Amino acid sequence: MFRTAVLCAALLWAAYAGAARLTHGFVAWTEEGARRIEVARSPVPAPAVAVQGPGVAAGDLRALLANGRDVSVVEFVYTHCETLCLSGGTVFQQMQAALQAAPRPARVQLLSVSFDPRRDDPARLDAYARGMGADARWWRFVRVPTPAQTQALLDAFRVVVVPDGRGDFQHNAALLVVHRDGRLLRIFDFAQHQLALDYARHLAEGGTP
Amino acid sequence: MRRAPDRLLAAATLAGLALLALPPVRRLLESSMSLHMLVQFPLLVAAGYLLARTLPAGWRRPLDAWNAHGMAGLLACALTLMVVMIPRLLDLVLVDARFEAAKWLALLACGAALQLSWSRAGLLVQAFFLGNVLPMMAAAGQLYQDAPLRLCNAYLLDDQVRLGQGLVILSLVAAAVAIAAGLRRANLWPARAHS
Repeated sequence: MFRTAVLCAALLWAAYAGAARLTHGFVAWTEEGARRIEVARSPVPAPAVAVQGPGVAAGDLRALLANGRDVSVVEFVYTHCETLCLSGGTVFQQMQAALQAAPRPARVQLLSVSFDPRRDDPARLDAYARGMGADARWWRFVRVPTPAQTQALLDAFRVVVVPDGRGDFQHNAALLVVHRDGRLLRIFDFAQHQLALDYARHLAEGGTP
Repeated sequence: MRRAPDRLLAAATLAGLALLALPPVRRLLESSMSLHMLVQFPLLVAAGYLLARTLPAGWRRPLDAWNAHGMAGLLACALTLMVVMIPRLLDLVLVDARFEAAKWLALLACGAALQLSWSRAGLLVQAFFLGNVLPMMAAAGQLYQDAPLRLCNAYLLDDQVRLGQGLVILSLVAAAVAIAAGLRRANLWPARAHS
């Protein structure tokens, strides 16, 4: 009986320790929660993948984000989407409106990155941006032309895209705040878009991360 | 000494495990959340259970000393089921082979612990075990159905709802079977007409 009690105690401890590690101390039960915590703890440099888009000079994503001037809020999209991307669009529309209305222009840029390079060519992105009322001064659209580099970018930022078998995708959509040195610092929910924008402005004004 | 049927059972179970481990089979069973949890998980637990059945008596005795009334084994089983139902684990095992290996070993061990413990546990310990595990499974199932967002990055939302429904059904069926078995053991449920 004594040995059974010892083994039971050891099992309880092992399960507790394992679950605590898996969930970052019972905080993050999902991989998405863990991603946000881990990114906040150790920022992720944007990979130098090639990007192209309407009104964006040919170059790579790192150069675009680490331009030394703007703090970026990045979202991943595909323009054929009917559900979450639209909500992302409306969130970016609200953020753009807030940036436009600010008395002093903030050094913040909004960037929508397509993970569907096959369908979202620059012409398509241009049409979509117009439809969204995107003002290129604040909000731009790019794609990563090659699927391999698109995947490299998704892997770096731990974005998981799942085809739903009906031509659409589901993905862990969120607002990614990237500092002007090109490091992804923090990930926010779409519901926290005000917080994300305030955080980006705070960084843009020289605030500490 | 191992009896011949035991050896056959062990070989058949190992062959079944090898089949489950084949990359195309593994990919298929892990391609959806509901297949992953409602098919692959139970098959692995069943394989562990069958393998433990073939353990020779000489191996069981030292294990039994650490497993009075099957309590340690059933506790291990319940704890394993709790941990493998954490949504993050389902995502991690898809991308990290270490977590995948740990998951396989844990589920095999869970089945083995169940086999080594169930018949040694009295009705009270059995009822306590099921009274914990089945409501937990049903609650997890309800949670999976009610979550407005995807809990796993790698799986679709309707798949998650299906898994939730499956978990609730599984727990209800298991509870019904357990109650019927308990009644039968207490001679309150006729197994078959007595002649």
